[in-house]
Amino acid sequence: MVDSPEQDRVESGDYSDREDADRDGFGPSTVQDDVILELKNLRTYFQTSYGTVKAVDGVSYHVKRGETLGVVGESGSGKSVTALSIMRLVPSPPGYIVGGEVILDGQNVLDLSDSEMAKIRGSKVGMILQDPMTALNPVFNIENQVGEAIRIHQNLKGQSLVDKIIHSLRQVRIPAAESRMKDYPHQLSGGMRQRVVGAISISCAPIVLIADEPTTALDVTIQAGYLRLLKEIQAETGVGIIFITHDFGIVAKMCDRVAVMYAGRIVETGDVRQIFNEPSHPYSEALLASVPKLEERTQRLYSIEGQPPPLFDLPPGCPFAPRCEYAQDVCREAYPVRFEIDANHTASCWKLLDFDISKADPEELAAAQSVSVTAAAEEQLQEAEAVAD
Amino acid sequence: MTTIQERIQQKEGIQPLDVNAEVILETRGLAKHFELAGGFLGFGNKPTLKAVDGIDVVVRAGETVGLVGESGCGKSTTAKLLLGLEKPTAGQIFFKGEDFTKMSRAAKRDYRKNVQAVFQDPWSSLNPRMRVQSIVAEPLQIVTKMTKGEIKARVSEVLEEVGLNAYQANLYPHEFSGGQRQRIGVARALALNPEVMVLDEPVSALDVSIRAQILNLLVDLQKEHNLAYLMIAHNLATVRYMCHTTAVMYLGSIKEIGDSEPIFSNPLHPYTQALISAALPSHPDIEREEIILPGEVPSPVDPPSGCTFNPRCPVKIGDVCEQWAPGLTEEETSHWVSCHLYGDAKERFDAGEAIPAAAVEDDA
Repeated sequence: MVDSPEQDRVESGDYSDREDADRDGFGPSTVQDDVILELKNLRTYFQTSYGTVKAVDGVSYHVKRGETLGVVGESGSGKSVTALSIMRLVPSPPGYIVGGEVILDGQNVLDLSDSEMAKIRGSKVGMILQDPMTALNPVFNIENQVGEAIRIHQNLKGQSLVDKIIHSLRQVRIPAAESRMKDYPHQLSGGMRQRVVGAISISCAPIVLIADEPTTALDVTIQAGYLRLLKEIQAETGVGIIFITHDFGIVAKMCDRVAVMYAGRIVETGDVRQIFNEPSHPYSEALLASVPKLEERTQRLYSIEGQPPPLFDLPPGCPFAPRCEYAQDVCREAYPVRFEIDANHTASCWKLLDFDISKADPEELAAAQSVSVTAAAEEQLQEAEAVAD
Repeated sequence: MTTIQERIQQKEGIQPLDVNAEVILETRGLAKHFELAGGFLGFGNKPTLKAVDGIDVVVRAGETVGLVGESGCGKSTTAKLLLGLEKPTAGQIFFKGEDFTKMSRAAKRDYRKNVQAVFQDPWSSLNPRMRVQSIVAEPLQIVTKMTKGEIKARVSEVLEEVGLNAYQANLYPHEFSGGQRQRIGVARALALNPEVMVLDEPVSALDVSIRAQILNLLVDLQKEHNLAYLMIAHNLATVRYMCHTTAVMYLGSIKEIGDSEPIFSNPLHPYTQALISAALPSHPDIEREEIILPGEVPSPVDPPSGCTFNPRCPVKIGDVCEQWAPGLTEEETSHWVSCHLYGDAKERFDAGEAIPAAAVEDDA
């Protein structure tokens, strides 16, 4: 009755009998070698009455074909603004992408004109948002809403459009797609609605799918089904997924690689097992220790005291220092340089350099201090201020 | 320098449960049925929605009882019944052995003072037009005869107890972060020195890094005041961390209840097994054989006959599941389950026995 082998395994921590390729429980790994999206030093700032909010401050990451990258961090860490910057959907004003590159399939999307960008949104990059009730329009039926993206990007009409809509709905395993597509969003359950949102975002066969906390509004069993669906779609189409979440459980289940964000920067990045087995940034370590486990009783959770700092007034040094158990003087003076722990595993923390600033490469150290805004950014922000006045 | 692991070691987790502790809150056959609009021109049978359909729970001093289940299983209605916000259709609530429905006005007042609530969303559960001082003082003004000075002192005291500063009493809720707001909510519940707190999803609206702060605060307060908690949650891992006793609800009734440890390490009910199998792992190497339940939770307006879980049950054993509603049986020490897989119901059913008395009662 009870799956006791699983229980034994959890208790003993012995996973040696498992084949490596099938370790995430979703069949063989789908990761391929070619990088389809790369962010280089992306900076997105907001001009507010409090000052410049550096929501994204030099973020670099990449996604390969068939790979799932988890972007983890608490609210306000900049993970969603990064995603909006990739889509160039940051509301402007007050937001400005002031630096860096977003290379999608070999092309920097920040250089594209608005009409060229419109062609990419929804076709090459799809997006699934958190709340399906607000992502769907209540006064249009499902056929209409799924059809919209297909009509615009693929120029289909009539029966071929309907066929394509049905195909997309079947791809997200909506039963009786032909009749269901006449329904309105309120006639569907939460899980089904989120599947419709999924159908819209994959209808034009994107190469990158950005999923921004798509399952937070769903129940446990529905969530499990949805995550399984995303993995199946990935196996079928080889889409690269950026999974934005604050839930380490989702990361453990879904992701190949992880980027942990704090205060607008990536503080640690690595393969999912590197992060779970050997979290090297104190923030990652603290986050992992603050999540209760289902498999065993946790004696006591670690609580990260304090709150994330306001992004318009970041002190020099590491923004996590005020909440960090390990912080020393150097942490409050200079932002740490990136340290390579292992292949593919880097973290930015002075602890890894024994709190010794002289061990850091001076050039890298200077680059890490984002106290001065780049010249181009300065100009753009001043322009924005002039408009605001 | 203290490492994070050392820091965790310095603090205590939940206290072991004293099984001989006084029973503070108990429900017997608690039910809430809502009559819906319908019938022909207002005549005829109106459909009833059985939100909660016969629940027996015992909460002792110093104990945390967790109610888990998916949306629509009736856990929030149970909380409302316990808080006296809904009138039960059937069944009783006992507070220290006294039946709530038969209490005098004064005793009911005392009950409400002793059973306080912490709500899910600290953004909507605090009045944005009131200062923290007034929010936390309100229950004191209503229930106690304290003077203004005494109230002020008590507010400062509870604010400090939940980890806020006394001077913050003069601020408005919008000036606080989510975690701090939830602390205000806890302070308000704590102000009257209650014996029971009903925690309705106390951390699900908060950020991950803040959740542990609030959970640990609740653990510490429980130890300090020997509080009894009834916690409603959908996150199984949170329940395992917080709760001595766990009750799994499905469609208005309890399917499995008992000490948290056996429930999580050896779930007996097929629904509990499916819930646990679908929960997210805490490590990428942990792989659970996922039990996929067909269909969706049926409507509580017209729940399935027999065991309410039978249409979705992957291990249904036969007609007995459709016709006999299983009662809770103690399958191992302090571990009850409501399922025909256990006990002898199937043999008795196959032998042609009539519906057992318990099941008849349930149908009535």
